[in-house]
Formats: sequence, C-alpha cells, structure tokens
Amino acid sequence: MRPTGHALLTAIVLATAAGPCLTAAGAASAPPVTHYVLDAPRSSLEFTFQQAGAQNKGKFTRFAVSFDFSPDNLAGSRLEVTVEIGSLDTGDQERDDTLHGADLFAVAKFPQAHFAASQFNKTASGYEAIGKLTIRGVTRDTRVPFTFRTADEHGVAVGYMSGKTTVRRLDFGVGQGEWRATDQVGNEVGVSFALRLTSAAR
Amino acid sequence: MVMRNTTHRWGAVAQLLHWLIVALIIVQVTLAALAGDLPLGMKKLAMLARHKSVGITILGLALVRLGWRQLNPTPALPQTLKPYERTLARFTHAMLYVLLFAMPLSGWMMSSARGFPVSWFGFFQLPDLVPKSQPLYHALVTTHQTLAVVLGAVVTLHVAAALKHHYVLRDDVLQRMLPLSTTTQGTKR
Repeated sequence: MRPTGHALLTAIVLATAAGPCLTAAGAASAPPVTHYVLDAPRSSLEFTFQQAGAQNKGKFTRFAVSFDFSPDNLAGSRLEVTVEIGSLDTGDQERDDTLHGADLFAVAKFPQAHFAASQFNKTASGYEAIGKLTIRGVTRDTRVPFTFRTADEHGVAVGYMSGKTTVRRLDFGVGQGEWRATDQVGNEVGVSFALRLTSAAR
Repeated sequence: MVMRNTTHRWGAVAQLLHWLIVALIIVQVTLAALAGDLPLGMKKLAMLARHKSVGITILGLALVRLGWRQLNPTPALPQTLKPYERTLARFTHAMLYVLLFAMPLSGWMMSSARGFPVSWFGFFQLPDLVPKSQPLYHALVTTHQTLAVVLGAVVTLHVAAALKHHYVLRDDVLQRMLPLSTTTQGTKR
C-alpha cells in the first residue's frame, strides 16, 4: 500500500529532526515516546478464514488501540489493543451469531480479545511487536509484524500502522465440539490491520 | 458403441454426459434437502460445500454437453410425432438446457451475495459473481428454489415423455439414450 522505504525514511528524518530537542528536554538516555490513539473511522481490523475451501472475510468494527511508540525508543514503546468480539462482522447474521456462540468465541463469557506488547524489534521491513494475545480467555505469546510511518497532517502528528499476521484459532479454543474440526473451517485465521493513529497528549 | 452421435442414436459421450448429470442432480437434491434442515454447523457447511462443488461440476458438464451437441448430429424425433408433440419435446429439451445453466449460476450468485464464496472441492476458489448483498441474497434464494421446482416439473415431463415413447408409442426414443440397449433402427447404421 505505502512504500516501506519511504515510511522508514520519514521515520528516520523525523527522528533525526526531533532528536536534539527531545534530548535537551528529556531524560538522560531514552527519547520520549509519542502516545497515539486510534482514529477509529479511518482504521480497519479484518480477518480472513477458510470456509468450505474458500477464503471468507470478516472485520471487527469496535476496537481500541493505545500505542506509545518511538522508533528511537523501542524499549520504551508499548502497544495495547482491545477488540470487542461482539462487533465482528462477516456480512452474514447467521454466521456472526454462530461465531458469538459458546463453541466459538463465547462472546457472553469472553467479550474482548486483548493484545499487549512491550517488546519491539526492528525488522528488515518494519517492526515487530512481541506480546501476549488473549482470545477466549487463553493467552499466548504472539509476534505481530507491522510497518509504521508518521505524517504531519495540518499540524497534527499522525501515525499509520499496518500489518498482518496469522493466528491459529484452535490455539485459543475458538472451536469447541464439532467446530474443532478444520476441514470445513480452517485453523489458520489471517488478521490484518491498517490503523490511523493520532498523537494525543498524555 | 460409438463415441459420436448419429442421426438415429446418441453416442457414448452424449449418453455419459446425460446420465452423469442425472446422477449429479439426484446428489444435488439429496444434499440440498439434508442441509436445509440443519442449523449452521460443520455438517451443514460440509454438505453445502459439496452441493456447491457438484453444482459447479454440473455447470462444467453442461458446457461440455452443449459444445458436444453443436459438434454432433442430433438424433431426429420420430416422424410419427404430431406437431404439438414436436414443439413440446423441443421446449422441454430447451428448458432442461436452460436450467442446467440457470440452477448452478443462480446458486453460485446466491453464495456470492451471501458472502460465502464457492470453492470447487477445495481445489480452487471461484470468483464472486455478484457483490455481497442481503436483499440480493434473499432474491436469489427464491430464484434458486423456484428454478428447482421448475426443474422438477420439467424433469417429470421429460421422464413421462420418455416412458410414453417406450411403453405407449413403442418407438426407440428412450432406448437410444440407454447405453446397453439395442434398438431396431439405432444399432443398424
């Protein structure tokens, strides 16, 4: 979508430009991180899954993101994502209702999924967040690769974060009883996100 | 038995296509009836997945059949038929061909409109024919079901006519579509 090279360059330029004043104002070592919140209407969190041999799509319409990030201070960066499972939308009411049910997401008991990461690595194409993903009450260590670029839009610092990863639904118990089988509904679920984040004062 | 049709008898390829499609339509009706009563679950998904795959198979076979029909002579109707019987026979056969395409296509569109894309036995995924839309989906369900009823009626007429040819008119119209039978005119060519 957006060239990573350009994103990286932007990040470096911004970091370099911001460097001196941050160092002057900040603590002895680490530059401060920027606190971002979600611009929900301009962000998406989608998933793809195999159903009956074909790829099907869905999305979550309600989720919250809190992202404290600086490319120069990965150690001080934090990501927290909370997803309202009840907001899932696969475009079919019967399927959505089934997904809400006790054998799948059990949304009445586990209304939210959660991802919290406090470890970040620079990768060839961007970054990866290493954290804990909790779905249906089961927590697993998860790595989420992403790209991040910032932009100045009419004086507002904006961050664009996007990426995709794969989770295995059965690792989180999403599929009890007959839904444990993977011949009609695949185990692997692709999750992709394209977020627009705005910086907010803490 | 020869592969190609003659003006008197259907060849092996036309017969195979005819009876294969008959068998697959029986499979389709069975799967649809069994899946219809189930709640959304693995069993229903599995049955509907097979229903869709078999439907796409029928669509492919219908194309082959239509192509083969163009490349071969069509066995003539008996001279003894009255004009209205001739017209009725042509109408029934035309309807059967139309339905061989309309049934799978309406089913495929139905799947697309619902947002449940079609896969052919898991080997490959077919493109969506129409955008996802709830009202369109409901309209296509009605279409698919209505066409199924029409197909049932036309097949009944087709079978009744075949039996009439065999038992009442005592001509070879049925026999010339049967693989192992010998007919008075058909085998001597």
